[in-house]
This record gives sequence, C-alpha cells and structure tokens, in this order.
Amino acid sequence: MIMGIVLVLVNVIVFVLLAPFYDGVMRKVTARVQSRKGPPVFQSYLDLLKLLGKENVSSAEGWPFRLAPLAALASITAVVGLVPLAGRANALSDRVDIITVVYLLALGGVSVLLGALASRNTFATIGASREMMTMIMIEPVLAMTLILSAVRAGGLGLPGAMAGVAASGFGWSTGLMLVVYLLALQAFVAKQPFDIAEAETEILEGPFIEYGGPRYALFKLYVMIKQMFYAFLLVSAFLPAARTGAYPLDAFVQLAAVLAVLVLVAVVGSTNPRLRIDQAVRYYAALIVASLCAVVLALGGL
Amino acid sequence: MWLTSKIKQVLMVIKPGVVTLKYPFEPRPAPEAFRGAPRWDHTRCIGCGGCANHCPARTIMTRDICQEIRILLYDGARCTYCGRCADICPEKAIAMTRDYELATPSREDITATLELFMLTCQRCGRCYDMETRNVIDKLDLRGYRYDDLEARTVLRRTSDRLDPALLEATERTSRPTE
Amino acid sequence: MNPVETARTIKEEFGPAVRGVETPSPDRLFIDVERAALRAVSNRLVALGGRYIVGVGYDEIARNGTLGLVHTLAFDAGHWAAAVRTSAPAAEPAFESITPDIPGAGWSEREYMDLLGMTFTGHPKPKRLVLADDWPAGIHPLRKEVPYNLVPPAAEDVAYQLDEAPEGTTIVPIGPFHSSLHEPEHFAVYVDGETIKGCDYRGFMTHRGIEKLCQTQVSYNEVPFIAERICGICGSVHATTYAQAVEAAAGIRISRRAEYIRTIMLEIERLHSHLLWLGVAGHLIGFDTVFMQAWRVRERIMWLSERITGNRKTYGMVIIGGVRRDISPETARDIEQVLDAVERESLALERSIVGDTAIHRRTKGVGSLSKEEAVRWSLVGPVARARGIDIDVRRDHPYAAYADMAFDVPVVDSGDVWGTLVVRVLEIFESIKILRQALRGLPGDGPLLVEIAEALPPLRHAFSLVEAPRGEAAHYVVTGEENRPERWRVRAPTYPNLQAVPAMLLGDQFADFPIVLGSIDPCFSCTDRVAVIDVRTGRRRSMDRRELEGVSRGSRG
Repeated sequence: MIMGIVLVLVNVIVFVLLAPFYDGVMRKVTARVQSRKGPPVFQSYLDLLKLLGKENVSSAEGWPFRLAPLAALASITAVVGLVPLAGRANALSDRVDIITVVYLLALGGVSVLLGALASRNTFATIGASREMMTMIMIEPVLAMTLILSAVRAGGLGLPGAMAGVAASGFGWSTGLMLVVYLLALQAFVAKQPFDIAEAETEILEGPFIEYGGPRYALFKLYVMIKQMFYAFLLVSAFLPAARTGAYPLDAFVQLAAVLAVLVLVAVVGSTNPRLRIDQAVRYYAALIVASLCAVVLALGGL
Repeated sequence: MWLTSKIKQVLMVIKPGVVTLKYPFEPRPAPEAFRGAPRWDHTRCIGCGGCANHCPARTIMTRDICQEIRILLYDGARCTYCGRCADICPEKAIAMTRDYELATPSREDITATLELFMLTCQRCGRCYDMETRNVIDKLDLRGYRYDDLEARTVLRRTSDRLDPALLEATERTSRPTE
Repeated sequence: MNPVETARTIKEEFGPAVRGVETPSPDRLFIDVERAALRAVSNRLVALGGRYIVGVGYDEIARNGTLGLVHTLAFDAGHWAAAVRTSAPAAEPAFESITPDIPGAGWSEREYMDLLGMTFTGHPKPKRLVLADDWPAGIHPLRKEVPYNLVPPAAEDVAYQLDEAPEGTTIVPIGPFHSSLHEPEHFAVYVDGETIKGCDYRGFMTHRGIEKLCQTQVSYNEVPFIAERICGICGSVHATTYAQAVEAAAGIRISRRAEYIRTIMLEIERLHSHLLWLGVAGHLIGFDTVFMQAWRVRERIMWLSERITGNRKTYGMVIIGGVRRDISPETARDIEQVLDAVERESLALERSIVGDTAIHRRTKGVGSLSKEEAVRWSLVGPVARARGIDIDVRRDHPYAAYADMAFDVPVVDSGDVWGTLVVRVLEIFESIKILRQALRGLPGDGPLLVEIAEALPPLRHAFSLVEAPRGEAAHYVVTGEENRPERWRVRAPTYPNLQAVPAMLLGDQFADFPIVLGSIDPCFSCTDRVAVIDVRTGRRRSMDRRELEGVSRGSRG
C-alpha cells in the first residue's frame, strides 16, 4: 500500500523532472539536423525557470483564463501518476481504467481550448478552432489504441491495457495499430507536420498567444509532459517490456526507449513542413478508419 | 517521391555537420579588404575637410575654433563604414581598419578628435585647390560642415555649402531633452 | 514598333495634344502631352505593347508654377521604354486617373495624392497610401516648400478606413508586427472560418524620407550609399539603377570593365537573395530545416562579398562613373571557387526538395493568379514568370554587361507559389552561369571610374531599369543644380507585386497567407521609401485596443 503510493510519487517526479530534459534532447536533435549546435540539453529547464520568474500579464479577466494552465498541468500530471511505469501497477493504477486516461487527456486539451477562447484574441481563436478540430479527429485514434489493448488484455483495467504486447503478445491487430499510432504520433505531440495549432508563422503560437510568465511555464510543462506521455504509451503498449525484476532497471530501459522514440519524433518533425488543417483532417480521418479496422481485428481475435 | 526526398534531405544535412562558429570563444578576424572603423592618421591629415564634406552619414564634423586651429571630429555612432572618407582623402590619411567589435556603452570609445594646427595660405589666408577626378566629388573647401561638436547635434544642421544663418544657428544649438 | 515610329503614330493620332517628343537615346522615348490627353495616350501606348512601370510626380512650382506627372511604360519586345510627361498648374493639380484602365498605376496615383496634393478623378480607391493616418491634411511632403525634417502636429480623430469586409467574414489583423512579416505593415485579412475572402493592405510604415532627403540634403555621390540601404537584400540593385539613371541623364559612359564588375556584384546579390528567399519560404511553411540549410549555403556568398567588397551586404561598390573596387585575378579565382561550392550545394538542396510531396501540398495550387490577371496588375519578376509572363529586364532592356551574356530566363505557367519556387531555383543556376561568363570575359583594361570633368547638366530626365532578384526595379532621375538630383523616384519590384496580393489570396486558406505573401519575396523596405521622416507607425484606431496590443506588443512610434 505504502509502496503503491510511493510509486505514484515516483511516477510524477520522474515524468515531471525528465520531461524538460527530453524536450532539450529533441531540440538538440533538431539543431543537428539543421547543421547547428543548438541549445544545451538543459535549456528547457532554464526556460521554465525564467518564465516562472516573470510577471503574470493578464490580457483577459476571469477564472477560465487564469485556471486553464493549472487545469492542463494537473490533468497531465494525473495521467502520468496513474500509469504503470515499468509494468508495475501503483496505488492508483488498479483503481482506474482506460476511460479515465482518455478523459484526463481530453481534459488537458479542453483546458487549452478554454484558455485560448478566454484570451479573446483572434489568433488564439483560430488556434483554438484548429486545436479543436485536431482533438476531435485524433482523440479517437488514442481511444482506439487503448480499447485495442483493453480488448486483448480482456478488461478495461489500466495495468492490463497498458501492459499491452508484454502481456498479450503481438498480433495482426497490434501490428496495424502500431503503424497507425506511429503515423499519428506527430499529431499527438503536435510536431511538424502537425503542429498546426501553434503555427508560429501563421498565428503566432495560437492558443498560447496571450499567455506569458508563470502561466505560460505551466502550459509549456504540460506540453512537454504530454509529448513524453504519448511516447511512453507507444513504448508501453507496443514494445516488449524488460523483465529483469529490478524495478529501477526496468524503468530505466523503458525511459530510454521513450527517449529513442522522441528522438525519432524530432527527426521527423524537423524534416517536414507544416500541413494545413484541412489537409491534416483528411489524414486523421484515414487514421481513424485504420484504427477502427485494428480494433475489429482484435475483436475477431487476431 | 516523398520518401526519397526525405532520404535525400537527411543525407544533405549529414554532410556539412555542425557549422556553428565558436565565436566569440574563438576570435574571428575580418578579411583583408574589410571596411571596419576608419582611423585617422593625424600626421598626414591636412585638415581639408573633404571627409566631412562627403560623409553620407554626416558623422564627421569640422570646426575652426580660431584662425589656426581646426577640430575634426569623427563620431562613430552614426558611421556606416562606407569608406568614402578614405576614398576622398587626398593625403590617404584615413584607413578603414578591420575593427568590427565596436560595441561599447561609452560614446568616447568610438569618437576620434583631431586638433589640427592650420597654416594659412600665403595668398588668401585659407584655400587650397585639390585635384580630384570627378567634379561631383570636388572638395568643397570653402564650405565647412559646421556643427556643435560638444552636443553633436548634427542631424538637422548640415548643409552642402556654407550657410551663415545655419552657422549662427549651430552656435545656439542644444541637445533635445528627452 | 521602335520609338521613332511610335512617336510618329502618337503625334498623328493626337495632334496638338502632343507638345513635344524626345529620343535622347535609341531606347528611350519621352512624349510631352497636354493634361487632358494623358489617359488616352497612356492607353494607346499600352495597346501598342507597353507595360506600365511607374508614375512619377514632381514639383516645378518655383520654375513655372506647375506640378509635373510622368507615366513610364516598357516595350519589352522592342527593347525600349517610354515616358509620357504632362503637367498641371499648382493651383488646380487635377488629372484624370488612368487606374481604371491600368490597375498597376493605382498606387502611383495615390502616392501623389498624398505627397504632392494632386487629385486623380475617377480613381477607384483614393485612400491614403503613403502618409500616416495622423499626418495633417494639406501638407504635401514632396513639395519643395515643405522642409525635409518637418514634424507637424498630429491630426486628431483619424483612422484608416479599411475596405468593407465581405459578408460573414471576420477580420484577422496581420501586422504591423507579425512573425511572417519582416517589416511592419498591416494586412487585414477577411476570413470565413479558414478561407480567405478578401484582404486590405495598409503599409508604408517604414518610411524613411529617402527621396526627399536625397533631393534636398545629399550630393550625387552620397546617394548610392543611401540607395544601398533602401533594402537589406537588394542594395546593390538600387545603387546601380540610380547610378545608371544619372549616367544616362548626364551622358556619362562608364568603362566596360566597370560594367562587368557591376554585373558581377548584381549576380552575386541575386544568388544570396534567392537562397535567402528559399530559406524564408521554408520557414513560412513550417519547414525550418530548409531555412537553415539554404542559409548555410548562402553564408558562403556573404563571406565572399565580405572578402571582395569589405562588407557582407552593403557592398558600396557603385558610384557615379563606375565602381569603387577592382576584381583582381585572385578575387576572380576566389569567386569561382565559391561558385563551384554553391552550385554543388544548391543542387543537393534542390534535389532534396523538388520531389517532396509535403512541400508540394503547401505550395501547389496556392496563391493562384492567372496570366491575364498578372498582366493586368503589371507584375514583374519571378512572380510574373511563374504565371507564364516572359519578361526579364536583363534580356529585354540590357544594361551593364548583360548584352554580352548568354543565359536563359526560366518561365513556368503553373501560376502558383510552387511556380515561383521553381523559377527562383532555376535562376540560381542561371546566375552562376552568368557569373562564370562575366569572370572569364572581364575586360582587361579600362578605368574603374571615368573622369567627370564637367558638372552634370541640370534638369535632364532619365530612367533606368534593372532586374532585381524580386523583379524590375525602376529609378527615374531628374538631374539638379546643386550637385544632387532634383527628383529621384525609386520604384521597387515589390511595389506592383504587392498590389496583386489580395487577388492571389482570394479563396485560399488562412494558413496559406504567409507563403503567398512570401512568394512575392516582399521587400517592404524597398517599397516604403517615400515621404518625410518621422512618420509614426500607422495605428488602426478602429480596432479594439487590447487586441492590437496583444498582436503588436506595445511597439509604437
């Protein structure tokens, strides 16, 4: 019991503390692709610290504007607190199922939307509408991934579902879903070609345009943890877990795999232009269909 | 095809590697022909004022404070490093150095002042006729660029030919208050 | 038809309305007409094959109480150009607008409404163009009576009235500060969801008073240094065009060697400009790697320029009578080596992006404009060549050493942003071709600077055309009496191209706005250079203040 609670804390600490480091590594990889040195790998920590030291400038009044960053960070922190790291369920994992995870992730996205719409800025509104369209089209793929894992694990419980391949083996459905997830990964983490909601050259950071200082730091941390989580989901559900028995070693291997996935994300992100929302939506629709097929295959036992 | 393009792009970026220079941790000298800060050689300057006359940025000023002494002031704050002063100088007293690390909080660091003792011409008291190749670059020696050297409010007080009214106005010039 | 024949035709058709005809050189025709016949004569010249370049207004009040107006047109097929001059008394400076027939003249006329107080009857959009909204009425900066450094008290309660927004659209304010723009300007884009239904432009926020300054304060040989700073990318172009115009007006012939050196500098500038554009286009569609790599290739050219001219960008090579520095055999070898490396790397860059379907999706079919529309708006440069219009000043009106060079002019007819990309990339290789020819054919002798023994004759008109990387740059010069030009009109290539941007945007998605604007390779610094200094940033007072502050983060004045 105590161990369970400790593991929850370990999860939160690991994810929250490592996310900026992983973000820094991604920036370094992007820089190398662009033939430049890039910022130091610890730059994202420094950015967050700097932002936290600044003043909160509010362009809009009202609690949605002020609470949105907190809600987003809280929701993603809750998600990472729940997941079974290195296959070990913690105090919370046993009590939740995949629906909770989908709900919390959606809550994070909705918080961003709330903040953007509360900003009363044209660019934020455009960014919010793009974010909304993206969420509507890409959340189903996430849900399908978790449903597939649940089907193969035989229940909605989170530890079983997240154990994925490690528990229930590799099948056609898993293979198809892996491909779909990889194709959707750039959209999940909002990197090129799918960083449409925050297109810098078009809408000046979109939903976050009115945010600065500590609130922006919270949003930034939210984005970093979110990208780490989606990479973690890929590793947890589709890659066989290390089974050395030693929890720290298993966790280390899994986190190293997460880093490798994020490096891949950075390479793909830096070698692609940004697509338009109408083009992206068509692409997501195809992914939804494919993910549905994967679930059907899983239901058929494949 | 998209995939072959991506492969070509990755290959294209691998070859040059990281091209970031280590400057300022390693020095980076400017090339030979670089137009950096101009430097006056006071031993060669004859005080003709040609540089002042032809500076497009109006950042070289001359003033005679008495019959024998002419002050030449170069205020690097507005210099565009075009090198016209060096071109025009009949005595080749101005060299464009290779200095480009000129940022400083103190204006004095980029100012050059020459105090020149002027001999008078024995015929008229002051004039020289210099050979120049182009009549549009003629050293207009009778028209000085009178400015308030202390306040350096040169912007709106210059003229291509001597303007006595303007001269009088510059005597009374003061820096605009903020 | 050549100038002489055209002059005869015009004289026959318009009889006494034609006051005079001049052909100071085989490729220039100046026709002086009565004010009432201006529109008809301009239309007739267009019908005879003329392409509108720019309008020029000037103040002759002290001399004969009139304001002069000139419309310039190019006859590319015949390799010559014409200027139609007229004047109106200063008390009643009304002209008939030629904009309804020649849309490209729209901005020129609006400019002189602001700057000289002329009126153009029948102009479809007689709004302020150049002066700030709070510039008081009745003060026309280009009139000689107005000092160059006048700072008038601000007018009260004024705002730029944007065009009527189409039904069901919202206004997205792009600018004055926006990350897709390199200089401050304002585009009010009317969107319906994500589709662009219209656009209005309010620019000229980076006025520096260059024309006025150079007409009142500086001397002939100081102007090239100011001209060079009109633009941070195509400086040499403006310095060369100005020098050529003055040389044409004064009848100065520079040496062949100087012409070759000018050509070399112009082509080096084209190389760096196109590579810069390639990078910027990549950045605008979110592809920062293309940006970094293209600029890495470009950096060699900047270092080369620094070695040759002493500065990365402000070459300072061109003055009246020739060039300031020589290209020695060592320098020529240096240039050849850099060209080899740049060619190799540009090829690698080109090969890796030409087949990238992701880039195709962001650029093909985007910013479409038909050839007819492009001709109507008098577009120039790669923007026009991407729409099937085969014009290039280097071939049609050869200047400097281009008559000796063999090169192709790439023209495609896809009519979209992808077309402009293809044209510019092909032009990179053509530039390298020209540079190699110029270096090999560099004439051995000839002074860098010819001697100008006599003062330049005043009140001579001339205009010069140069192919800038963005298109045709045109400078009109009237020589003056005080060792400076009396009138100097700079028409950058972005000037006509910008006027067509709203047409290009129609029907596209909002996300395409940056790349469509970027496809004309806009150089607002070049475009905005008119009027008097100290113009404050144009504020849209009709906008919600908080919105504006949110977008243009507190930078005013």
